[in-house]
Amino acid sequence: MNNFIQIIIRKVGSLLATLLVMSFIIFMLVEIMPGDVAQMILGQSATEESVAALRESRGLNDPVLVRYGRWVVNVIQGDLGESIYMQGVTINSILWRRVGHSLILAFAAFILFVPLSIFFGVLAGVKEKTVTDSIISFFGLATMALPEFVSGVFLISIFAVQMKVFPIVSVIPIGESLFENLDIVILPALSITFVMFGYISRMQRSSMIIVMNSDYIRAATLKGMPRRYVIFRHALKNALLPTITIIGMNMGWLFGGLIVVETLFGFPGMGSLLMTAIKTRDVPLIEACVLLITVIYSVSTMITDLLYSYLNPRVRFAGGQR
Amino acid sequence: MKDNILDIQNLNIRFSTFDGLFTAVNDVSFSLGYDESIGIIGESGCGKSTLSYSVMKYLPSNAQVDGKVIFKGDDLLQKSDKEMEAVRGNRIAMVFQNPYSSLNPAHTIGFQLDEVGIHHQKLSKADARKASLEALELMNLGDVKAIVNRYPHQISGGIQQRVCIAMALLCKPDLMILDEPTTALDVTTEAVILDSIKALRDKLHMSLIYISHDMGVINKVAEQIIVMYNGEIVEKGPKQEIFNHPTHPYTRALINCMPRKGVVKENTKLNSIKGYVKKRGASEKGCPFADRCEKKNDTCEQLYRMREVGPDHIAACDRAYATDIPDKVVKPVKKVKKTVEEVQDEEKEIISLDSLTKVYGTRKKVYAVNGIDVSVQSGSVLGIVGESGCGKSTTGHMVSGLYKPTAGKIIFNGKDISLTWKKRDKETLKDIQLIFQNPGRSLNPSHTVQQIIDRPMKKLGMESDKNKRKKIIIDMLKKVDLGKEYLTKKPRQLSGGEQQRVAIARALTIHPQLVVCDEPTSALDVSVQASVLNLLNELQIESHAAYMFISHDLNVINYLSDNIMVMYAGKIAEYGTRDEVMAPPYHPYTEALLSAVPEVDPTKRNVAIELEGNLPNPSKKITGCPFAGRCHKQVGPICEQQAPPLVQVSPTHYYYCHISAMDV
Repeated sequence: MNNFIQIIIRKVGSLLATLLVMSFIIFMLVEIMPGDVAQMILGQSATEESVAALRESRGLNDPVLVRYGRWVVNVIQGDLGESIYMQGVTINSILWRRVGHSLILAFAAFILFVPLSIFFGVLAGVKEKTVTDSIISFFGLATMALPEFVSGVFLISIFAVQMKVFPIVSVIPIGESLFENLDIVILPALSITFVMFGYISRMQRSSMIIVMNSDYIRAATLKGMPRRYVIFRHALKNALLPTITIIGMNMGWLFGGLIVVETLFGFPGMGSLLMTAIKTRDVPLIEACVLLITVIYSVSTMITDLLYSYLNPRVRFAGGQR
Repeated sequence: MKDNILDIQNLNIRFSTFDGLFTAVNDVSFSLGYDESIGIIGESGCGKSTLSYSVMKYLPSNAQVDGKVIFKGDDLLQKSDKEMEAVRGNRIAMVFQNPYSSLNPAHTIGFQLDEVGIHHQKLSKADARKASLEALELMNLGDVKAIVNRYPHQISGGIQQRVCIAMALLCKPDLMILDEPTTALDVTTEAVILDSIKALRDKLHMSLIYISHDMGVINKVAEQIIVMYNGEIVEKGPKQEIFNHPTHPYTRALINCMPRKGVVKENTKLNSIKGYVKKRGASEKGCPFADRCEKKNDTCEQLYRMREVGPDHIAACDRAYATDIPDKVVKPVKKVKKTVEEVQDEEKEIISLDSLTKVYGTRKKVYAVNGIDVSVQSGSVLGIVGESGCGKSTTGHMVSGLYKPTAGKIIFNGKDISLTWKKRDKETLKDIQLIFQNPGRSLNPSHTVQQIIDRPMKKLGMESDKNKRKKIIIDMLKKVDLGKEYLTKKPRQLSGGEQQRVAIARALTIHPQLVVCDEPTSALDVSVQASVLNLLNELQIESHAAYMFISHDLNVINYLSDNIMVMYAGKIAEYGTRDEVMAPPYHPYTEALLSAVPEVDPTKRNVAIELEGNLPNPSKKITGCPFAGRCHKQVGPICEQQAPPLVQVSPTHYYYCHISAMDV
């Protein structure tokens, strides 16, 4: 078990290093974006002097590295700065609510697509080259080929416009929280599920096929183990490994993908916030959002790695007795 | 009939593929009595495994089966999958070729053993564990309580296979099928496993089907032998009968193509079987072996049938000793008499290794090769032999420049070349060539044969004219018995033997002075191995190149080498000319290795010296003799404490041991 703790410490260390490098890259990218922050705050009609004064007071004339250092120190202390577009509003006060909404949406999508795609992937893999396999594979391919804004429009026109079960747009009425309006999560979550299902179920299918053709499955079958037992106790644990990696790596991608879905449904999450921030050149807000996406990406990758090494004894006991 | 445990009657198995219907097993009938053991022998692709899987009713969905497989009165082929679950692993158990991939990497050994008892005998978890521990103890596995908590990758191949056998024993099956269980293992491990199988039979009285391509192994475990060729039984009978009077030409050829004790390159050319096992269409009739048979005549088609040739001995053909077509006389290739200059050339040391050492890892040091001093004369063959993990491949890789030595020198033609290949000059690169174990993986799959052979010539600046190069390639292909038509083929269109021929051609077209052969025949069938060995021998004599021939197979080493170096745990255990190493006095390790080789001739019996345990942990610094822990001749604590001294038996023969030449 000591070994395992060592692995965790090493992973967290490399996570922090990644974040530091990423924060620098993000800062520099935003830095080379055209436009002057002071000018943007004061508007087009501001005088040269007032712009210069604001730059001086905000420290915008300092060298890049000094400003980067200041930003990093602030971020570490939990201060993400103030939004430029919505003046006087701290980013902390808007971002976290939005992040919460996005997490709920991502979670809803996650509990939908992970069991669904694993179940159907395993089913297709076990019934390789049968009608069941063809139907699942076709459905997977079809949903994978549809971008989320297309499938989203489909879902809206069927469930919201025709059947009127779910609202067309996912807005939360003023004064209410997301928890009182959970039905707005379902359609966006479904359209994310559509995209992920095809991908993950195909991965699961192919890894299941490889495992089912392996020597140890043959050995287990010829030991007289019932087929169900062979599939669930012997095959699944091995066949899940590649899928877990894929799901973990896609969690970060999922957050990026939320931008499209949230914009389409008008869902009040981080994706639509980032979209607005980019449109209004709200530099500190962009930086905060992108940094947060990086954090989520890295953390989910780390969790995936840890889960993988927990499930795979060959990694867990790497360097063990030969 | 009643006293047979297994009766196979007129079994036919055909596979339908895109190319049509192919025969895998054709009209096979045999029976196996209680407490009897039968060995099935044949090359790969002869349907041995398919036959054994049909006993388990475990065949792919495109198989068409008819006939009967009667096990204790029931026809297994009529049973449903559900009913078969009660037979598999319970009444009939199976052990496979590759123990590593046959154990589930995600579960502990204990889990995989226990489930057998839990399912078949409805034992509780605790009782199942108790049964598992008992079965492991039956296999002499030392600390069994520790083994059950390990994962498969944490134990060595030999222990893995013994775990697999223990797993098969759990329900005390009536019949055990072993499908090449020792092929992937070292000879010493093989000897231990074969002995434990024998001991188990004495104790448990079960019937055995043992599948192998190795006559020596079959000789050790079986009483009856079935020789299969292309899905058909071509000969069947008691072991002694088959070995003494092999009646079918195929049986005879199989026995003759094995390199064995006393067979060396100077006096014998190995008997190879030309061609390879062809896929057989379902409608083809007549003798399946006809296209490769040396004794073929016009009557083969009509007179092909099973006949009795001796007591309990039947064969599909009795032309093995037919005199109307004389035996193909195979004469060994003799070294051509040399001129005075060449004799002087012969004396020259082409390469010498000077306390060559390779250490892997920085923090945890692993001494793969630990101070080797040896030299190779030009035009001679040095055989390097030892168990896996003894550092023989690492030595070969350092000589060819794939690894850089950690310490020590490689002197090649007076030049220090202890560098990686990137830093060597073209001349050296050209002069040292490498042939790998697995030709399928060492040839670029997207290149044609011509490109493969052409590339080193082009890169190393042998010949700039493309047409001349092509001519050289065609000449070379002819030398390795491949026609012009192979130029445009790609590796995957070739059989294993043909691939290795291409690899040999690639290595030899540029006239190297030294060829490092790293287990070049280990992945090949015996008949193909024979032809590749013949080829290597002929080309060596013709080209005067020196070989560094690495193999774990003492028979192969014995056949081809002039000098032999026995390696153990990164050090030289014994070095000498072939005849000196192969005869007493031996280093105890050489003695153990020699005794472990299964004897092909059933009249001779050798008792294997069992080497228990593993190679010493290479990351520990050894002060004494590395072999001390496993040695059967240990003289006392001195073995553990002091490095063994060099014992010089003759000017060319020495070994490292505390026992002097007189006492050994």
